[in-house]
Amino acid sequence: MKFLDKNTIKLDKELNELDKITIDFTSILNKAKIQYTIISGYVAVVFGRNRASEDIDIFIEKIDEEKFSELWKELIKTFDCINSEDAEEIFNYFLKSGSAVRFAKKDKFIPNVEVKFPKTSIDLWGIENKKKLILNNNEMYISPLESQIPFKLFLGSEKDIEDAKYLYNIFKDKLNKSLLKQFSRNLNIEDKFKKYLT
Amino acid sequence: MKAPKVDLKELEKIKEDNFKERLKFIDQYSEWVKKNSNKKWSSQQKDLLSK
Repeated sequence: MKFLDKNTIKLDKELNELDKITIDFTSILNKAKIQYTIISGYVAVVFGRNRASEDIDIFIEKIDEEKFSELWKELIKTFDCINSEDAEEIFNYFLKSGSAVRFAKKDKFIPNVEVKFPKTSIDLWGIENKKKLILNNNEMYISPLESQIPFKLFLGSEKDIEDAKYLYNIFKDKLNKSLLKQFSRNLNIEDKFKKYLT
Repeated sequence: MKAPKVDLKELEKIKEDNFKERLKFIDQYSEWVKKNSNKKWSSQQKDLLSK
């Protein structure tokens, strides 16, 4: 993996099933010019962490119903929505109320892509400050590791702490240490950071 | 049949030790990923995750 600049990482690798579904889904978001950011487990898996995950978590910018309807038309060419087949219901009763919706490849249930509108300041910050990942010449956007690593420690399950440690080990020379510290302080996980990552 | 008594402190300690071992393994594995080509680690990852 290579940093082309401070906002772009290039990675060429053998693609697994999670990579493939993520590429397919994000290429539709890219084409629709919708701002988004991938968060959570897949960010660790794409960079080599060996663990199974049944979903890929994505925040998409808050779009209006018309734009969502256009996106829906493109998505359902390749994906099924697990929650409902009705775009209006998905928009009004799931996304707008803050719930997640899941999309899987046709006739499959897992892996699936979990899509949500951002709710918290960290969710919004992640979209505004997203980083470009060029995976085998496919562009996708991920949340900055400086927020992902502390947030994983905040979530605090063993799996999350292992993800945080893995990402920190792989990228420690490239991370913005001051930003990492700010997130650690704001999430009140400085003790965990010292205990597990240093 | 009676279930055995359990020493919860002992079990917590075992759980913590196992977790520490896994964190140690993450250190070793991440070093290995950094030292090896993307092709090498991703090929093994693909085999594992595509099972």
